[in-house]
Amino acid sequence: MTTMTGGLPPPAPTPLFFRRGFRNLLAQGVYVGVTALVIFYVVQALGGREYGFGFLNQPAAFDVGNQWLINVDGTTNTRFTMYLVGIWATARVVMVTLLLSTVLGVAVGVARLSPNWLLSKMAMLFVEIFRNMPLFVQIVLWYAIVLFGLPQIQNALDLGDTFFLSNRGIAVPWPEPDGGLYGGPEWLTAVWAAAVAAAAVAAWFVRRRRQELERETGQPHYPNRWGIRLFAGGALVSFLALGLPLTIDVPVLSGTDYAEGLTLRPEFTALTLGLTIYTASFIAEIVRASIQALPKGQTEAANAIGLSGYQRLTLVILPQALRQMIPSVTNQYLNASKNSSLAYGVSYADLFFVANIIQNKIGHAVEVFALIIVTYMLMSLAISVVMNFLNSRLTLTRV
Amino acid sequence: MTEPVAGARKVVLPPHRVRAQRPLGTRAREWTRENLFPSPAQAVVTLLALAFATAIVALAVYLVLAAEWRVITVNRWLLFAGGFPQDQEWRLWVSVALVFPLIGAAFGLWASLGRRDLLFMALAAGFLFFLARHGDAGWASTVWVAGSLALFFAGYLVCRLVPREPGRARSIATWTAGGALALALPAVLAVLMAAGGARTNEFSGFMMNLILAPVGIAGGLLLAIPLAVGRASSLRAVSWTCTAYIELIRGAPLIGWLFVALFILEDVIAGDLIVRTMVVLAVFTSAYIAEYIRGGLQALPHGQTEAAQAVGLGRTRTLQLVVLPQALRISIPPIVGQAISLWKDTALISAILPLRELVGNSKAAIAQPEFIENRIEVYVFAAVLFWIVAFVMSRVSQRMERSLGIGER
Repeated sequence: MTTMTGGLPPPAPTPLFFRRGFRNLLAQGVYVGVTALVIFYVVQALGGREYGFGFLNQPAAFDVGNQWLINVDGTTNTRFTMYLVGIWATARVVMVTLLLSTVLGVAVGVARLSPNWLLSKMAMLFVEIFRNMPLFVQIVLWYAIVLFGLPQIQNALDLGDTFFLSNRGIAVPWPEPDGGLYGGPEWLTAVWAAAVAAAAVAAWFVRRRRQELERETGQPHYPNRWGIRLFAGGALVSFLALGLPLTIDVPVLSGTDYAEGLTLRPEFTALTLGLTIYTASFIAEIVRASIQALPKGQTEAANAIGLSGYQRLTLVILPQALRQMIPSVTNQYLNASKNSSLAYGVSYADLFFVANIIQNKIGHAVEVFALIIVTYMLMSLAISVVMNFLNSRLTLTRV
Repeated sequence: MTEPVAGARKVVLPPHRVRAQRPLGTRAREWTRENLFPSPAQAVVTLLALAFATAIVALAVYLVLAAEWRVITVNRWLLFAGGFPQDQEWRLWVSVALVFPLIGAAFGLWASLGRRDLLFMALAAGFLFFLARHGDAGWASTVWVAGSLALFFAGYLVCRLVPREPGRARSIATWTAGGALALALPAVLAVLMAAGGARTNEFSGFMMNLILAPVGIAGGLLLAIPLAVGRASSLRAVSWTCTAYIELIRGAPLIGWLFVALFILEDVIAGDLIVRTMVVLAVFTSAYIAEYIRGGLQALPHGQTEAAQAVGLGRTRTLQLVVLPQALRISIPPIVGQAISLWKDTALISAILPLRELVGNSKAAIAQPEFIENRIEVYVFAAVLFWIVAFVMSRVSQRMERSLGIGER
């Protein structure tokens, strides 16, 4: 059957060089070779240094200010302990920033779409001004304003005898554990905290149960309302039953500082203020875009069934816009967490600042940088995990 | 046709035309009621907002009047050019005069200047003239500013003559302008440095921001395209290393990478610190831009690749002629966003590096005993300078989004 008459001649075998598999292999081989060369060169260039993480276990011999709830002495503790103090400082700023910037950002984003001309223009100005200014300059500017614009502590700006603004920081009232009316031990506060947690868990289950009932019967069972009632009632009743085991301490000036209450230091204030406003201006744009992306029929339908403006926003518009905005907001959270390193500009002792001190004292720049990048990556990972969990809870899986 | 013919139909104007014909007072009253006081609740909101706005405006006016701006006018050179040799000032002005008409041409080709843009530009020009007139430089800088602005408008007007419809004239104009824009950066560097000009370690002040940001963006874009294609590649070795690179770079904040430029890269890359900073900015930006381009690649329907293969294009040609042009077009807005972000990030170079860009020189200005009280003024001025450029860039990106028809089909 080898005699073929007519038709095409049998195709000549493709030369090796033009075969796809061979070319892929060749390309990868060349690529790996070049990459290996580059890595080899970098390793070679950095080879002259001494390596090892032992320096982290030696005494730090420097102090870190702006600690809160902890008081770690830098002269006796190791460098690694002081680095952990820095991480705690970063975590504080990031948590406060994410919370406040979300609230502010949603408020400004919604105001941007308000039918009220003045309100919407003010929201627009807020976004345009703060989004286009370098965050670093903003933080430095806030710091200058707090340090040099606010009065001396002796004649601090007094807001109703509870808040005090001075160039030593912003003093605010703060709850302190207390034995309560019956003069019990201080751990009554912890008992109350446990009661509040129990009330929260109970409220969660009641809410779930009522949601199920609502779904089964089609009748309203007000899950959110009952959940909040149970939580607030539980917290209040236990608070009263334990004899008010908590007092709110109002700041009192003693000498050149405030004795009670909580003083937000200028560094923390400037950093948090700058980060919050900057992040909020981006979140506001995301909120606006995701609300505008909703079909107009949603607003019209809400109007048609007679919802008020507030109900329309909270029951119809925001829940749907939330799904749209979570990925972008997550990105902004990640940016904000990394931007907290600009604390360096106001000498707020965050993890980058502490790491930089360590590097200045002992060198080991490569190891210090490895520490920095691993910390930031873990922080980003934590934020992503939480936000992805939220996203998966909110995404509609069933129609 | 002036007299209405008897029996002819009366012309009925649409409602908005009827409303527009009423006297101004009525319209203003109606607008106020609709937009500010539609309901009692809204009226309260309006009044509260008005009180808040008034307080802020009053505070701002008071601060501007109470502030002492002499610190800016005296330190004008320090803030704008710092350590740049003073006798080479003409090199700076020639660079400005080189770049302004190109920006004007870009506006003329891809956007148009509306009434608001002109108002904004008039304000910015007034600000520039004010700066140029105060201080010690005499009339020379005023003439340079006026000339540069004239060149901007010349570039704009010439490019407005180019027809908007795709055609031979337009494609010639676009390619010329695009090429000139691409060459602008090397040209400016040549003007600044060639034949006895400044050395790289003499770059300083606002000028340094204006040079570092474009270098970072251009370098980042050039690095990002192969990175994005590499990450999407089917070759495992390539896609894994590209992914690792991108995630590593995005893992640490820019200030951390500047730390690397200062303490680690000195052993790896020879050259001035400013060269290492440029490399770090480009590498940092490339990771972010690569992710945006990857987004563009993923947004492209797979049918595009299949269609290209069906008409017999090879893999390289498919990428070059079909996939990349469309993916890049989709990712232009976020890339401009990244450019704005990098522009703002150049403000933190002086925070850690011994380089003196605008913020660093602001610190130097405050360090003078005479101006130690004026730090707020100096930082406000720096913030305003950064803001102007970033605002213009964000406007350009919005225009581009609209004129490229992204998000529409």
